[in-house]
Amino acid sequence: MIKVDSAILASVSKPARYTGNELNSVHKPYQEGMVRFALSLPDVYEVGMSNLGLKILYEILNARKDVAAERVYAPWVDMEEKMRQHQIPLYSLESFTPIKEFDFVGFSLQYEMIYSNVLNVLDLAGIPLLASERGDDMPFVVGGGPCVYNAEPVADFFDLFVVGEGEIVLGELVDAYIAWQKDGRPDGRVGFLRRAAQVSGIYVPSFYAVDYNEDGTIKAITATEGAPSVVNKRVVPDLDAVPSVTRPVVPYIDIVHDRIMLELFRGCTRGCRFCQAGVIYRPVRERKMETLMKIAEKQVANTGYNEMSLTSLSSADYSRLKELVPALINRFSKEGVSVSLPSLRIDSFSIELAQEVQQVRKSGLTFAPEAGTQRLRDVINKGVTEENLMEATGAAFRQGWSTIKLYFMIGLPTETDEDIIGIAKLAYRVLDLYKSIKGKRGAKVTVSVSSFVPKPNTPFQWFPQNTPDELRRKQQLLKEHIKDRSITYHYHDVPTSFLEGVFARGDRRLGKVLLTAWKNGAKYDGWSDHFKYDVWMNAFETEGVDPTFYANRERALGEIMPWQHISCGADEAFLWREYENAQKEVLTGDCRRDACNFCGVCPNLNVTVIDGGLAK
Amino acid sequence: MKTIIRAEITKGEEIRYISHLDYAGAVERAIRRAGIPAAYSEGFNPHMKLAFASALAVGVTSSSEYMDVELAEPYSLSCFTQLLEQALPKGIRLKRAIYKDAADKKALMALAERASYRIVLPSGYNKEAIKKAIASFEAELDVVIWKVTPKSRKEVEVKQYMAAPIKFVEGEQDEILMDILITPQGSVKPEQILRALYDMFGFPIEVETVQIERTGLFCRRNGKWTALIA
Repeated sequence: MIKVDSAILASVSKPARYTGNELNSVHKPYQEGMVRFALSLPDVYEVGMSNLGLKILYEILNARKDVAAERVYAPWVDMEEKMRQHQIPLYSLESFTPIKEFDFVGFSLQYEMIYSNVLNVLDLAGIPLLASERGDDMPFVVGGGPCVYNAEPVADFFDLFVVGEGEIVLGELVDAYIAWQKDGRPDGRVGFLRRAAQVSGIYVPSFYAVDYNEDGTIKAITATEGAPSVVNKRVVPDLDAVPSVTRPVVPYIDIVHDRIMLELFRGCTRGCRFCQAGVIYRPVRERKMETLMKIAEKQVANTGYNEMSLTSLSSADYSRLKELVPALINRFSKEGVSVSLPSLRIDSFSIELAQEVQQVRKSGLTFAPEAGTQRLRDVINKGVTEENLMEATGAAFRQGWSTIKLYFMIGLPTETDEDIIGIAKLAYRVLDLYKSIKGKRGAKVTVSVSSFVPKPNTPFQWFPQNTPDELRRKQQLLKEHIKDRSITYHYHDVPTSFLEGVFARGDRRLGKVLLTAWKNGAKYDGWSDHFKYDVWMNAFETEGVDPTFYANRERALGEIMPWQHISCGADEAFLWREYENAQKEVLTGDCRRDACNFCGVCPNLNVTVIDGGLAK
Repeated sequence: MKTIIRAEITKGEEIRYISHLDYAGAVERAIRRAGIPAAYSEGFNPHMKLAFASALAVGVTSSSEYMDVELAEPYSLSCFTQLLEQALPKGIRLKRAIYKDAADKKALMALAERASYRIVLPSGYNKEAIKKAIASFEAELDVVIWKVTPKSRKEVEVKQYMAAPIKFVEGEQDEILMDILITPQGSVKPEQILRALYDMFGFPIEVETVQIERTGLFCRRNGKWTALIA
C-alpha cells in the first residue's frame, strides 16, 4: 500500500485527485485468487472520472466477487514530478496498490492524442512499455474505446484490445484468465494470450504479422497462433437486458461531467459521412423508457446529484423523448434535480425541449451545421438545410435566447473557398434573423471551426487530409470574411489536427515514433499548453517516418488498410458507396426510420435495431 | 414559520484536501441522498438552502463545522439525524443537530467570532526552538505579514486576531493550540501564523509538514464564549 506524504500532497494542485475515498468507490479486501483489474483513462482525474464507459465497467466488474476493479488516472504534471522525485510508483485510488501488481491494466482510448499519456502512465507504474518486454510478473495491458478500430499505432504497447462493448467481453476475458491461473499458467504470458485470442471481440496484436509493399502500403496482414483472421466487434444486443450504472463514484472535486449520465441509447444512424462514432457504435439500440426511469431513480438515490444529463450520440433522436423529459422533470424536480440535454438537433422540436429542460435560464444554445453551404452539407450527408437552422434559431430567439454557438468543420472533401465563405454568410444570416425578429441587434454568435480529420471506418477513410498550410489558409480566409464584432470566431490548432490525422489512419510503424516522442517529453498532447509539436516532428525525422504518408495521401479503393483485420461490422463496400454518394452530393436516409442502407452491421454481428419509434 | 436545522459536522482526514465549495457540495448531495426534504431557492437555478459558518481551507480538517439547513416542511430531528448519518460520505460525521432558535435572526456566517485550532507537529524537532519562537511571537506587540492572493498583496497585522496566547503542548505527538478571532474586518488563518513563526521567529517546522485541525467555532453569548451549538 502506497502512502503519499502529506507534504507532497500539500504542494501539488488539487491533491484530492490522488486521495480516493470517494462515495461509491468500491474497496474490496484482497483475497487469494481475486483478479485485480485497474481501469484507467490516462488523462487527468477530472477528465478520466467523467467517462461513462469506465463507470459501466467499474460497476460490472465489481459486481463479481472474484474481481476487484480499481481506478487510476494520469497524475498532473506537478504530481508526476513529485512522484518521480520521490520514486512513488503509480497506485490505484481504492487500495493504493501499485499498478504493476494488478492482473490487468485497462486503458480507455477515447482519442489519438492520449497515446503519449498511455506510455507515461505505464512508465510511472514501472511497467515495461513494450508488450514484448513484459515478464510473467507484469499485468496484461488492455485497450478499449473507439481508437481500437485502428489501434495499430499503439499495437506494440498493448497485450490485447477489447473490440466493442466491454461490458460483455471483460467478463469472458476474466473467466479465461481465472481458468489459465487454475491450470497453472501454462506457457506463461503467451499461453494466456492464446486463450484470450479465442474470446470473441479480443484482439491480440502480437498474433498478427504485417508485411509491407515497396511503396509503403500494406501487402498483407496475417493471423498467427490460431487467432481469427478478422476480429469482429462485440455489441450488447439488448441494453435493457444488461446492468447499467446505478452507483457511479461521486467525486469530491468538480469534474468535467459532474452529474448523472443517463444513457438513452447507443448508436446513431443519421449517417454523417465524416463521423466515426456514427459507424462504429451501430446499430441503434434504445433503452425502454421504463428502464430509464428505474435507472434514473437509483442514480439519484445513490449519488445525490442535482443534475441529470441525457447522454447519447444524438439524444434528441430518442423515440420517446417527448414523454421522457417531462416524466423525469416531474419525478425529480422537487428533489432539486434538473435535466439537461448535451446536444441539440437543428429543429424547433429541440428548442421546445431546451425550453422545457432549462426552464427560464437563457444560456447559449449550440448547433452543428458542420458546413457552410447546402452543397457541402449534402456531401457530408448532414441532413440539415439552411431553413432548418433559421427555423431553429428563430424559435430560440423568440423564446428569449440570444447567444448561439455554431460548430463547423473545414477541410472536408470537395470543399471550395465558396464553402468556407458560406460559414461566414450563415453566421451573418443568424445575426440578421435576430434583428428581424427583435427589431434590434443583440445576438451573439460564436463560430467554432475544427479541422476535419479523416477517420477509419468512415466513408472518408480514403480521403487525403488537407495539408497544414491549406488548413491555415482556409482559417485565414474565413477570418477575413468575419468582420462583425457580434461574431466570435474560434478555430483549432492546425498541428494538433495534423498529428491526430497521422495517428488516426496510421500503422504499426508509428509505434517507434510515439516511443521516441514520449522519451523526448511528449505527454498531455491534447492539452494545448503541453503539446510539443517540435518534439513530434523530430521524432518522425529520427525514426525516418513520413507523417504526410498517413495524413495527406489519398488511398485507392482496394488498398489494404492497417485496420483491415478489425471489423466494426460495416462493410467496406458500404463505406465506398457512401464516399461515391458524397462526391455526387446524394443524400442517404437514416435506416432507423427509413429504408436499410445495407451497411452490413446487423447481419455481420447478428443484431438488430431496437427503436421505440419503429413500431409502424 | 421556517424550519431550520443547525448541525455540527466534521471534515475528516479522508477529505482533508477538498475545498470548502467541494465540502459544501458533498454535504448537499448527502442531504439529497438521505431524502431529507430540504428547501430550495426560487428562480432560474434553484439551489438548496444550506449555509455554513466558516470556510475551511484545503488541507485543514475539522472536528467542529456548523451548517444550517432550511427544510421545506416541518421535520423531526431524529429523522434528520438518522437519515443524514447514513447518507454522509467518508470523512464527514454528524455530531449534533438542533432546531435553530426562531428568534435568532443572525446568519450562521455572522455568528462565528472565534475559532480554535489544534496543530499536530511532526516529531524530531528541537522543542526549545519551538518554545522560543512562540515566546518571541507572543512578546511582540505587532506582527505584520504579507497576505498574498493571485489578485492582491497587502500587509496585515495579525496579533489583533489572536484571541489567546499560542500554547505548546508536549505529548506523544507535540501540538500547538491556537485561538483566532473572526471579525467583520477580517481574520487570519492558522497556516499564516505558522508561516510567520517560521519566517520571522525561528520556528523550526515548515507549515507543509503539520496537520491542522479546527476544533471549535465560538460566539459570544451573555459575555461568554460558547460553542455555536451550546
